[in-house]
Amino acid sequence: MAEQELVTIEINGIELQVPKGEMIIESAKRIGVDIPFFCYHPRLGKGQAANCRMCLVEAGTKQPDGSVRMMPKPQTSCTLPASQGLVVFTDTVAIQKARRGILEFLLINHPLDCPICDRGGECPLQNNTLFYGPGVSRFVEEKRHLPKAFPISDYVVLDRERCIHCARCTRFSQEISGDAQLDFLKRGADMMVSTFYDTEFTSRFSGNTIELCPVGALTSRVYRFRARPWDMKSQKSICTRCSNGCNIWLDYRPNRLVRVLGRENEAVNEEWTCDRGKFGHEYISSDRRLLSPLIRKDGKFVTASWVEAYQLIASRVRQAVQEHGAGSVGAIGGAHLSNEEAYVLQKLMRVAIGTNNIDHRLEPNQPRATDGLFGRFGVPFTQNAIADIEKAKTIFILGSELVDEQPIVFLRARKAWFRHGAKVVIAYPEVTETELRFDEPVVLRYREGTESTLVNGLLHLVLASGKAVTDGIAQGEVQALRETLREYTPEKVAEMTGVETERLREAADLLGEGTVILCGAKVRNHPRYAETVHALANLTILTGNADRENGGLNILLPEVNSHGAADMGVLPDVLPGYARVDDDAARQRIEGLWEEKLPAEPGMSTQAMLEAAARGQMQVLYIIGEDIAQKYHDTELAQRALESAGLVVVQDLFLTETAQYADVVLPAASVAEKEGTFTNTERRVQRFWKAFNSPSPDVKSDLSIFTELAVYLGKSIPVFSAEQVMDEIGQVFPAYAACRYDNMPAEGVRVQASAVPSPQLVPVQTEVPAV
Amino acid sequence: MSEAIRLSEYPRVRRIDEKQPPELRFSEQAVQELERIKRHYPNKRAAMLPALWIAQREYGGYLPPEALMEVAYRLGTSYAVVEGVATFYTMYNKRPVGRVMLEVCTNLTCSICGGYEILHYLEQKLGIKVGETTPDGQFTLTEVECLNDCGNAPVMQVGDRYFGNLTPEKIDALLEELKQGNEHTVVQLADTVVKCHLSESERQDIERALANAQATNEARQEGQNG
Amino acid sequence: MAELKVLFQDIDVPGIQTLEVYEQHGGYSALRKALGMTRQQVIDEVKASGLRGRGGAGFPAWIKWNGIPKDESKPHYVQCNADEGEPGTFKDRELMMRHPHQLIEGIIIAGYATLSKVGYIYIRGEYTEPARVMRRAIDEAYRAGYLGKNILGSGVDFDLYIHMGAGSYECGEESAMMSSIMGERGQPRLKFPHAPLPTIAGLWDCPTLINNVETLSCVPAIIRNGGAWYASMGTEKSTGTKIFSVSGHVNKPGNYEVEMGTPLMELLELAGGVKGKLKAVIPGGSSVPILPAEKCDVNLDYESLQAAGTMLGSGGFMVLNDTVCIVKFMRRTAAFYAHESCGKCTPCREGTRWMVKIFDRILAGGGRMEDIDLLLDICDQIDGRSYCALGDAAAWPIRASIKHYRHEYEYYIQHGHSMVEAQQSTRA
Ligand SMILES: Cc1cc2nc3c(=O)[nH]c(=O)nc-3n(C[C@H](O)[C@H](O)[C@H](O)COP(=O)(O)O)c2cc1C
Ligand code: SF4
Ligand code: FES
Repeated sequence: MAEQELVTIEINGIELQVPKGEMIIESAKRIGVDIPFFCYHPRLGKGQAANCRMCLVEAGTKQPDGSVRMMPKPQTSCTLPASQGLVVFTDTVAIQKARRGILEFLLINHPLDCPICDRGGECPLQNNTLFYGPGVSRFVEEKRHLPKAFPISDYVVLDRERCIHCARCTRFSQEISGDAQLDFLKRGADMMVSTFYDTEFTSRFSGNTIELCPVGALTSRVYRFRARPWDMKSQKSICTRCSNGCNIWLDYRPNRLVRVLGRENEAVNEEWTCDRGKFGHEYISSDRRLLSPLIRKDGKFVTASWVEAYQLIASRVRQAVQEHGAGSVGAIGGAHLSNEEAYVLQKLMRVAIGTNNIDHRLEPNQPRATDGLFGRFGVPFTQNAIADIEKAKTIFILGSELVDEQPIVFLRARKAWFRHGAKVVIAYPEVTETELRFDEPVVLRYREGTESTLVNGLLHLVLASGKAVTDGIAQGEVQALRETLREYTPEKVAEMTGVETERLREAADLLGEGTVILCGAKVRNHPRYAETVHALANLTILTGNADRENGGLNILLPEVNSHGAADMGVLPDVLPGYARVDDDAARQRIEGLWEEKLPAEPGMSTQAMLEAAARGQMQVLYIIGEDIAQKYHDTELAQRALESAGLVVVQDLFLTETAQYADVVLPAASVAEKEGTFTNTERRVQRFWKAFNSPSPDVKSDLSIFTELAVYLGKSIPVFSAEQVMDEIGQVFPAYAACRYDNMPAEGVRVQASAVPSPQLVPVQTEVPAV
Repeated sequence: MSEAIRLSEYPRVRRIDEKQPPELRFSEQAVQELERIKRHYPNKRAAMLPALWIAQREYGGYLPPEALMEVAYRLGTSYAVVEGVATFYTMYNKRPVGRVMLEVCTNLTCSICGGYEILHYLEQKLGIKVGETTPDGQFTLTEVECLNDCGNAPVMQVGDRYFGNLTPEKIDALLEELKQGNEHTVVQLADTVVKCHLSESERQDIERALANAQATNEARQEGQNG
Repeated sequence: MAELKVLFQDIDVPGIQTLEVYEQHGGYSALRKALGMTRQQVIDEVKASGLRGRGGAGFPAWIKWNGIPKDESKPHYVQCNADEGEPGTFKDRELMMRHPHQLIEGIIIAGYATLSKVGYIYIRGEYTEPARVMRRAIDEAYRAGYLGKNILGSGVDFDLYIHMGAGSYECGEESAMMSSIMGERGQPRLKFPHAPLPTIAGLWDCPTLINNVETLSCVPAIIRNGGAWYASMGTEKSTGTKIFSVSGHVNKPGNYEVEMGTPLMELLELAGGVKGKLKAVIPGGSSVPILPAEKCDVNLDYESLQAAGTMLGSGGFMVLNDTVCIVKFMRRTAAFYAHESCGKCTPCREGTRWMVKIFDRILAGGGRMEDIDLLLDICDQIDGRSYCALGDAAAWPIRASIKHYRHEYEYYIQHGHSMVEAQQSTRA
């Protein structure tokens, strides 16, 4: 980055150097000068701010002769950029008077309902009034009356009387989330914030407006009257509701979660969260949590001790291995486990039981782990960091309702467009909410299932345009690809995919260096996944994005630790670090580290395990934290498998539908009750900490369960702490060596790619898939 | 927790599916006009004010929620943003108004030159208060800020015309005249505004396009009939 | 004691609104002349004229013109402010209704000088009659090749669009007008030093020249006769002529164009003299401080009026005779600003409405003596702290009225009725 130009300014007589253009309200912080404000927010557009007028300062400029020429009016420091020779006074008598005046104005219409207001105790208006406000109000007229608290969604309650018109929420909804569902109506003193005709506030990011509101005008319907800020504690955590890995605060009262707030991490979520994250952790303190192990006796669940449960499982596993071989035991799950737990789980299966039957994937498509991107770019799924998406010139969203699937990635993509003018191409079979958040993106409305044809069609155009980047690629390869793609003409592709040729051309024109490709469920779940990924990889290479910060290919994964589970080897064909079980050298390295012999035959994928179970061939099915009876893409198969398997062990927080099929149910701790790390969709490893105790002493963390079970299986996998597991992971999978707890930075660590094999094009099938 | 319980008693707020296009009611002419006006600006959104004027005409003198939704859809913005704009400007009516809207200026010059007297005279004459509409839906009486024709104070706007130097006698005559007419003055005002946005050649273009469309329509119908 | 007609020179010529008659009276010769000059020469001519903005602030026109970047890396725009909303002002209305081509010619010259290819004329929604005249004139100008591609074969392109408002005084403020043209709520935008000047980043962040109708209407005459000629009229710092819209208690209300520096009383005489006894004059539209009769011995130019404690503003010259109750009049003023406050910033949004509430209480007989100082204090709290000048404009007249007519306020509060009206009824 270019060296930032510094300027010398003076605040309250203190000279300091700050970056040119920095807002004075920020510069003042550098020397500990506090300027009160309401509407200012560093992440919201500067163009429309400065309306509360609370942050006024007196300002002037130094003249060549050393005198200071003061500006005639006070200036808002939240929008006043630092320039050479600027002189600022933040605490003159005039400014003190101005602040009192502004507060008096704000309070004339503000109801005096602090005692019953959820913001009480953490309310900027309350605080600023205390520090800077007038003692008494001279307002004797009647206050404004508007509808008091009423819900505008399941999450948000609006109280128009309390609103101070700072426009933070409306700016958020227009600039950040982009749904623009909040705006001001009317004008002057009648102005009020509203959704369209008071219809539901359906934004997927509505919760952020609650945190942004400097008064109690927007409050949480969920948190309402649950607690007061001063009787809560907070713990740092990571949101578990998708793979984006938002940093959050868990606010809790003794052993009970009361709310979730966004926590800053510039690299990931900045400070935002989606509503799923903010309101979707209620389950942690649910009354329906499992409180002790259950064993099915005579068709009914009865409470059991852990010893009984372990003994039952161990004896049945031993029996199965003896009578049917280790291949008759399998484990499904892991995408919700921490890295440490996932690692111990696969070690348990491989070392204590001797099987590679372990898989965390529930989607229909379960290819070999080393297929896809790993072989091409040395990274398993994603190339780009979330923060780097901002720098992209073009964003190509393929097969994903991004706002829903990857909310935080969406926010970055939108920022790239809104703030930095990136171009956007969206390909999806139906109208998406995502495309409504951009002005006139290029939309490719393809027929479901024709993703690879579409991509090859774009590639054809890129090659035809002559802008393809072919440095470092064997000419023969390019030529071969050109040959095979010859028949992917726009006309033909249009016919196959249903996308107009003109749209194809527009899209292809935008693909070039600095293109970030974001793929979601439609690509991941497709049976022809591999084909699409190869086509996308070719496209990535030929547009010069094989190894770029602001361009690349990203297959976005669904669950909080999908990425980590894969890294940890919760897959039937690879060990931690993508060491193939059937690659002797790779396997033997890990055998050496573990001092154990490992099975060299790839195990069964989830699909294969379930099919085998349905045929009555699985003696023990161990399901960890996945409600496959409901969530598996083929629920019917999952249910048949659960019915026909020998022993079904389910480890979960709740008596899920899957648990109804179980013979043994093991109660596991929630994320708030344990510690560890998750690896998010951009391969960032982040820590989470224990906030409070589990609802019962008989609830154990998954890590404890795995290690204790190992003992009962006659193999000890000594684990003293998650930290120690991470140390071991670092040895087995060196990329994780940087994630040792003692030196992990606050923003987490992005796991590095393995040595990148030089990008290679892959020949595509010439047969255009039939639709 | 009583408040919390009360909250849950609120009826669930209506949800609008953004992905569903709203019902579109603009006439072919309106569509043509909007298309041309959009070209005056570097982006669609800038056509907001003229689009709302078109909508006010198309929806009969005021902007019901459906009109705002249609404008939002045609300009690719959110519904809330359009509502925000429409409620900012006083000339967009958010509720139905009478066929004839009498907008009396009571601002500074008019206030000292008899504006309020005119207003009260009208109230009395029409039997309604400021802001109301006569029961027969013919007249709506409003008070407005300076119309900036103070040299002729007191002044009143009706549709796209100003009437100055008002006296009770003039008002009497004017009301008679307005009763005879059948034009919706608000619609007519909106139409004038829209037309002022369009250049001569654009207006001719539109006429041609409409004539063509009609011709093909007729041909099609004949084809169907014959 | 005479008018000096520059803008109004041909205004009484029958049919001057038509291109044909306008051309017969030298119309568009200034444009031809300008196209033969370099852009900088045009700007220099405007500079020599000393022309200052007639929209209210009186900012030297040439500085804006010259501030537009001289390259075309971005499109440039001309934005003509025809939103005339300042109470008491109706000169732009007449200039458009009766002399549309003069304005169009001025806009095209401005476009040429600032490398703009597109101009918008923002006409308030109520002004449908002037808008229709402008429409007709613009169509004529297109037909004659003064607008559109390759104007008069010069290779210069310029398109002029009408954009109409929809009822908002605030949209006359130049940055709120930008918002309105861009299809947003008519709220103002950040100003220098918080954001670049509109001449650098105006409409759609592109260089934009914003001038009032009257300002731009002066341009043809300046180009035709030279800046020096224009500067020879008026005073040293307030050159040329100015149209005053005289209204209220005078015998012949209307627009009068006089030389800058003309004594105020002369203008009053031109307008047929005061009806009744002169009480006060508001010389520049509702936003400027009131000038009591005793202080009316002043010349009409920017500097003299400022020295007298008021401003030239937009030239909305309201004359009040002694039947006017200042308290009621100011209540109406306050109500206007409260109604037109855009709501964006705290002081203006809350302060203007608060003042109306206080006025209403006083008028209803519930006034308290401390209300007068409270009003003054609210004015202080708004003035200089609001986002745009509407807030200031709401404060100034009230503050001035208390300064000059405090006794009327005190009387009203003590007696619960108007002093002026009480005197009138005793007199009657
Ligand atoms: C609240 C407010 C309202 C204004 N209204 C008008 C107006 O109606 N017409 C106008 O020409 N200028 C108006 N102005 C002044 C404009 O902001 C701007 O100064 C002017 O258009 C610049 O043109 P000029 O330099 O030619 O005067 C207004 C300013 C403010 C603060
Ligand atoms: S002073 Fe403030 S509220 Fe008033 S019009 Fe300007 S920005 Fe809007
Ligand atoms: S924080 Fe600066 S004006 Fe609100």
